[in-house]
Amino acid sequence: MDSRAFRRFRRNKGALGGLVLVVAVTVLGLAGPWLAPYDPVEQFTDALLLHNGLPAGPGIEPGHWLGGDVLARDELSRLLSGARVSMLVAYLATALAVLIGVTLGLVSGYVGGRLDTFLMRVVDVVLSMPFLLIAIVMQRVWDAPGIWTICVVLGVLSWTTLARITRAKTMEARELDYIQAARALGLRHVRILARHVLPNVMGPIIAIATILVARMIIAESALSFLGLGVRPPTASWGSMLNDSQSLLLGVPRLTLYPAVLISMAVFGFNLFGEGLRDAFDPKD
Amino acid sequence: MRSTPRTERRRPTRWMTGAAALVAAALLLGWVIANFPRAPIGPRYVGAGHQTPRSGGTFIFAAGSNIHTLDPHFAYDTLSTAACRLLYDGLLDYDYDGNMIPGLAAELPKMSDGGRSFRFTLRNGIKFHNGREITAEDISWSLHRLLSERIGSPGYPFFKSIQGAPAYHRGEADRVEGIVVLDEKTIEFHLDEADQTFLNALAMPFSYPLAKEHVEKLEQAEGRDAVGRHPVGSGPFTFSRWERGVQVEFERFEEYWAPQARPDRMIFLENISSDVASARFRNGDLDVVYRPSKVTRLFLRASEAWAPYRAESPSASVFALGLNCELPPFDDVHVRRAVAFALDRSKLERLDPGQVIAATQILPPMLAPHDPELPTRQGFDLERAKEEMRLAGFPDGLIEPVTLWVRGEGEVRAAQLFQQDLKAIGIEIELKMVSFATYLKETGRPRVAQAAFTGWHQDFPDPSNFMDILFHSRSIHPENSENRSFYRNPKLDAILDRARPEIDREARLALYAQANAILADEAPWAFLYYPIDMFAWQPYVKGFRPHPVWLNEYRNVWLDLPRERVSQSIYEQETGP
Repeated sequence: MDSRAFRRFRRNKGALGGLVLVVAVTVLGLAGPWLAPYDPVEQFTDALLLHNGLPAGPGIEPGHWLGGDVLARDELSRLLSGARVSMLVAYLATALAVLIGVTLGLVSGYVGGRLDTFLMRVVDVVLSMPFLLIAIVMQRVWDAPGIWTICVVLGVLSWTTLARITRAKTMEARELDYIQAARALGLRHVRILARHVLPNVMGPIIAIATILVARMIIAESALSFLGLGVRPPTASWGSMLNDSQSLLLGVPRLTLYPAVLISMAVFGFNLFGEGLRDAFDPKD
Repeated sequence: MRSTPRTERRRPTRWMTGAAALVAAALLLGWVIANFPRAPIGPRYVGAGHQTPRSGGTFIFAAGSNIHTLDPHFAYDTLSTAACRLLYDGLLDYDYDGNMIPGLAAELPKMSDGGRSFRFTLRNGIKFHNGREITAEDISWSLHRLLSERIGSPGYPFFKSIQGAPAYHRGEADRVEGIVVLDEKTIEFHLDEADQTFLNALAMPFSYPLAKEHVEKLEQAEGRDAVGRHPVGSGPFTFSRWERGVQVEFERFEEYWAPQARPDRMIFLENISSDVASARFRNGDLDVVYRPSKVTRLFLRASEAWAPYRAESPSASVFALGLNCELPPFDDVHVRRAVAFALDRSKLERLDPGQVIAATQILPPMLAPHDPELPTRQGFDLERAKEEMRLAGFPDGLIEPVTLWVRGEGEVRAAQLFQQDLKAIGIEIELKMVSFATYLKETGRPRVAQAAFTGWHQDFPDPSNFMDILFHSRSIHPENSENRSFYRNPKLDAILDRARPEIDREARLALYAQANAILADEAPWAFLYYPIDMFAWQPYVKGFRPHPVWLNEYRNVWLDLPRERVSQSIYEQETGP
């Protein structure tokens, strides 16, 4: 990031707030499972169940700060270890999307011609696919809902915007003098793309990827909420939402905790991403 | 367009807008929370106060899954059965005390030949929905359809004892010898040997008669499945329409032989989860709710206003982990026993108090010869479980994880409870969630599912209905096996084969007690719980009570209309400040 962009970013209070949230949830994702006071799948059917079978609330049982979940497991521990899963899925899926999207975008924009037309039609096709439906079908076909499957499903379905932006930026860059000069010098295409084009299109890619992380968090929650996400008893914020819906009317706090965390994470990534975009691209 | 130069001035305005939006959002949220509509603590509607049954209205009920078919020859799940109960009638039926009563038959059959022959006389003036009168030939024709191999009905095994049924089923005979039509109103059944469950079988939806001309036309034009989509029976309601996976609608049959049904229409909603059904019931949008969600159950139990309109009773069902006795590791009886001893069923009772009873044997508590002191009963005993794992040669547990098939969210939850218990003896469980249809298909094939969350609801109150069907080696088939744990034990088979025709009730129960002990000991199933069912109905729904045999039995309800909304003042008095 050049210094002007950095300055613009620093002046954007919203973006800074977003950064704080992003750092917070990322740290939570990294350190969450170690911070968890209990094993997230251990059931405390004696301590964490009221006589009517509903989970005990916060502060009733010492040591269980947020009480129990639907199956009398420690809610705090599940939120913390769920952070790892949710963040891991979001980051990995985004990484995969960036890998696919940027590679195809660079190639498409740089080579142009028929290949470009073909790749952009592929983008159109992928864009036209109903995301959730495909995700459900892919999950069913593979028959193994797990963290890695979800990452692949989400990544493979969400690289399109990145590819388009990268292509557009690459086409711009391709015509610039220094690229022409590099070509005239006889540099290999791969080298030109990697060393000269990529760094110049990186800004918007980072901004969009950040916003994509937010979308991936939501997508993971949605899939897990539909029971297509991580395999029980593993916790993720989305699967916790799913677990808690049966008690929504009686014990709304179980829905509230993961929902607030998801909202915070998504809000943070969005603010941060918007800030980055404004910083890189002051024209808008 | 003129471009506005960007100045530092704009920033504070933007922040103020942001702050204002935030404050507005907070206020809105606060208002919504403060004014959030509270669920009523009593019924929203009451009836008009009529004391005698009245006709009219639409009765609406719901179920959490989908209806497979409306063809009674294939109705072998509780929902299809419930729907078929409205559309069809059989020779025999059960009253609300579980006693057998005549249905289409004028009276209970005359038995002769040492319990091997039964003669039925039909009532006069019973009609199919297409207006044609039912004759003994219709009963015979329908049973022939049921027993034919072409149809492949799961009901065939119940009628095997009819003379010549197996030969007809194999295609070696044109007619079933033992079904004899004497005249228009009289039909006789001859059995190879006495069978104490034959009359129960005749009371099952499998033997409900269909209109021949209708079925033949449909099967020719649209294939076998079409009968299940366009049913014509003789029950109290006619079929109106079926939006598959959404709802089935029924209309009252005006020429019904017995006292006519009361509601004009019935609507059976499919795929309504218990959470949604509970909420809709409390809102007054559903007329009855069966197995409501946990929160609603607690609420209904605590509410004074609802007390007259709810019933809780143990269901004649059992739930278990089915262990495939053909596949490792459960081909070893010690591993199966280890599982049976490792499960702490009291956790379920604590999680859903008053909703389940821990199960230790196949027969539910209300069905003789259930024995609470059964010496071989299963139960939580970690030391014994570990000992059995040692005997099996796995003192440190299994190396490979075991895949457990589950059918829905509720079962995923229950299965998670036991994942930990099994981990304690070194068995890792991986859950595989599948749809009900997939589950039925795949677990009915040999050597597919290692373990499955499973259960059984009685078709009729007799121990053979649990044991013969689920554990006799005869119930093992290459497809659609009902013995889904593929358990084979010649000793058990022999006991069951002796018990089935036994006329002396005491001797018969003693045989089933032996079988019960063997099944608990050999653990083809690790028994989990017997559910306690809850029904709740709206105050304006009359004539409903839980039926001991039919799970969702709504033939006799009537609606006390017009219903009246409970006035706000009463409502607040009840609620208090």
